Amino acid sequence: MGGQRDFLLSIHFTRKKIRDLGFWMCLGLTLILPFGCSRRESSTPQASQTFREVTDDAGRRVAVPFRIDRIISLAPNLTEIIYAIGAGDSLVGDTSYCDYPPAAKTVEKVGDTLHPSMEKIIALRPQLVVVSTASQLEVFTHQLETQNIAVFVTDPHDLEGVFLSINQLGTILDHDDQARQLVRQLRSRTAAVEAAVKTTQPVRVFYQLSAEPLYTAGRDAFVTDLIRRAGGLSVTADVSGAWPKYSAESALAARPEAIILPTGGSMGAGNATVAEPLQRSPAVEQGKVYRINDDHLVRPGPRAVDGLEEMARSLHPDAFKL
Amino acid sequence: MLEARDLTIKYGERVAVANVSLTLAPGQISAIIGPNGAGKSTFLQALNGQLGPTPGVVLLDGQPLEKLNRRIIGRRIAVVAQEAELRFPITVLEFVLGGRFAWAASASWGWETEHDIDVASAVLHETELFELSGRLMNELSGGERQRAVLARALATEAVVLLLDEPTANLDISHQSTLLALVRGRCDNHGASALVVTHDINLAAQFADNVLLMKDGHTISSGRPEEVLTPGLLRDVFEVTVLVDAHPITGVPRVTPVHEAHRQV
Amino acid sequence: MTTSESSHSRASTVYFGSSNRTTLRKTFIACAVLSGALLLVVILMSLVGSERLPAGASLCALLSFGRSQCTLTSDQFDILFQIRLPRILLAAAVGGSLATAGASYQALLRNPLAEPYLLGISNGAAVGTMIALVFFGATEWSRPLLAFVGALLATLAVYRLARGRAGATPERLVLAGVIVTTFLSSVIVFVTTLMDATRIRSFTFWLLGDLSGTSKNLLPVAIAIAVVGTVVLTANARSLNLLMLGERDAFDLGVEVGRVRIVVFLVASLLVGSSVAASGSVGYVGLVVPHLARLSLGSDNRLSIPAAALGGALFVIVADTAARTLIAPRELPVGAITALIGAPLFIYLLKRT
Repeated sequence: MGGQRDFLLSIHFTRKKIRDLGFWMCLGLTLILPFGCSRRESSTPQASQTFREVTDDAGRRVAVPFRIDRIISLAPNLTEIIYAIGAGDSLVGDTSYCDYPPAAKTVEKVGDTLHPSMEKIIALRPQLVVVSTASQLEVFTHQLETQNIAVFVTDPHDLEGVFLSINQLGTILDHDDQARQLVRQLRSRTAAVEAAVKTTQPVRVFYQLSAEPLYTAGRDAFVTDLIRRAGGLSVTADVSGAWPKYSAESALAARPEAIILPTGGSMGAGNATVAEPLQRSPAVEQGKVYRINDDHLVRPGPRAVDGLEEMARSLHPDAFKL
Repeated sequence: MLEARDLTIKYGERVAVANVSLTLAPGQISAIIGPNGAGKSTFLQALNGQLGPTPGVVLLDGQPLEKLNRRIIGRRIAVVAQEAELRFPITVLEFVLGGRFAWAASASWGWETEHDIDVASAVLHETELFELSGRLMNELSGGERQRAVLARALATEAVVLLLDEPTANLDISHQSTLLALVRGRCDNHGASALVVTHDINLAAQFADNVLLMKDGHTISSGRPEEVLTPGLLRDVFEVTVLVDAHPITGVPRVTPVHEAHRQV
Repeated sequence: MTTSESSHSRASTVYFGSSNRTTLRKTFIACAVLSGALLLVVILMSLVGSERLPAGASLCALLSFGRSQCTLTSDQFDILFQIRLPRILLAAAVGGSLATAGASYQALLRNPLAEPYLLGISNGAAVGTMIALVFFGATEWSRPLLAFVGALLATLAVYRLARGRAGATPERLVLAGVIVTTFLSSVIVFVTTLMDATRIRSFTFWLLGDLSGTSKNLLPVAIAIAVVGTVVLTANARSLNLLMLGERDAFDLGVEVGRVRIVVFLVASLLVGSSVAASGSVGYVGLVVPHLARLSLGSDNRLSIPAAALGGALFVIVADTAARTLIAPRELPVGAITALIGAPLFIYLLKRT
């Protein structure tokens, strides 16, 4: 008697289990399906547009539409480049730090450089998002790709890298001529600076990113290249990393002849005083402390050449007397 | 001498102890017995000021407890409760020396004096823990730890000992030793003791005075022969008991008669 | 006195050697040894840094208390006396403060795991410091003051949360600490995201412990607080010995529990606040150093608190020396080093007990 009851119960429970399993599988499929579908879509180009394939600075092959009307920039330097080559009207979104040229401030903001809003980016329906590793956004390229948005990564380490970025964006945004002209102008200004300082003795420079805690520019920092071209020798040019925290002792022992304080610009009024260990350096004693707009020194964009000129004029005033 | 008059303790609406009075005379052991929740331990805690001021009054040598500072109370009243928490390594000697705190010259600094060491040493001999002085407390057995707790209380040289279920974790040999020590203190040094216990026969054997409590009230109080009667015990514990005289000692012996007893 | 009694007391004096309890003599010797070691470490670590200084000349200058330059160039002299020595002294103050606070919390809360960092008290001080930096950036004094307030509020929060009917059991305490720590960590992250990008980097460094701050005014204050705090807590050590075994027991034996609790909370919060305001959160010091002190010297707080203070100073000086020399001329946050040393050491200690 009990045995038969157990048997019927076990069948009942098995049926129930199968039904439950079926329910969960259907639910799971409905959730997974859209993602699977979108994956497939991203690999085949849409019939209405033609694409070109470009390689970005991260070595990725990116399919970019021939005609781009809607682009989002996730780095202030790229925003500046886009406007500088005359493609500003295709910019539909940028970061809260994108403040130059003034027109960039009126563009829809998608967040800051570190945490842009995925939702906002998607809602703006861009055809392309440009990213600079200087802003450390490689993390987001993956997220954007899964949303079927093309991402182009730039990675400028030095001034040559900036010229490359300008040409790349010129090609992508179909403003080749403006891009090439801009690069020509920037190159000639750079050459003029380098020629002027060629015969001078390089000045030993300390680049102070912040006083307390003491941060400086290392080997991989963009500004280290600028300092070299401006006729300076960064005392921290060999230190590994881009923005290392620096030992106070070594700063004192370095006895720099000039100190550069990036300030104003996005940094606001901060970093306007020389750090304590450098107070008795030759630079301070001879008054060779130069405050330069940090946006000209840190953003790998067209204004970097402004920064180059400002630094060169500060370090070698005699070379520019003419 | 410790005297409690009309002590009432409430937790919000719930009355834990209602108008209980008790006098602990020198040289006497009193026992409190009663079912769980009768308020026995709560009453004991109130006797050294742990629960703060409550309705009713507790007088230590004629002065209300609230008027005395903690060190004075610490010198005169000692509590033996369930085992202490032993999360840090501490030797038996250090543990027992803790009892000398209230006698320190300053409020919380100071080192133990020669006299402190002598008292501790005497007490360790009394509780047969002298050989274990250097061992860590958590290396001791349960019975030895309980003896150490008693030793610490005795080291305070207090004249009033309050013991809350001191024999709960002890085997019968150690139960006997512990209460014999308390008895000795009371007889030889004029201390008074109050023992809260579940063990009615132990109370009968050692106490001069028994207080029977239920639901916070005093049901009966007096000599064991007067309080430990079948009628009263059945009312309080709701169990049938047989009370006769112990064949050797003559004290009342309480034997419960359980319904579900083994058929012989 | 009969013969047996006298031999008894003689036996008792012989038997009650220092192995059974902590005596004044034992405390004195241990503290003297630790102080000597501390002095030695201060001198030795002054000779080490990202810039090489001539050892002999540096020693000569140090031993002359800075009165003689002893063939050091003026730059080298400045490095030694303006940069290295103040930093080492700050490390000592921070290490001593955190270890003493940790030892006191462990005694008061009856939990060997009670540590300023794990209980969220360091985070409370950090939030206080951040508020001071953002709203009162100009006044230097606002930082340690608000750090103290933050630490105190965090302490009260943990204590209230941990209090159940059975009192603050270790489990409830750890839980309360986790709640307060994670809550305050989110507050810190929130405030950090509101800051601009340039300050974020420096702040993240500070949050991991950074002794490179050059504020000359606050160093004497930090040292004074460390010394006074240790003295006050040691003065309550005997009460803490009893509190360590249970609040009820301590109360019964005559300890003024309420008063001691207030003193410990206030002084420990002051110690943590002053450390965090000066150098950010340096973790594990308040956990590992008191543990080691108790393991080697016993649980008597009259010895283990001053020993923790001296040991904590030693620990952080050594950790900070590593932080400023391992990748010289770059620097690491000292909290990373203390965690690297402290975490495995703690696991080892846990396994031993």
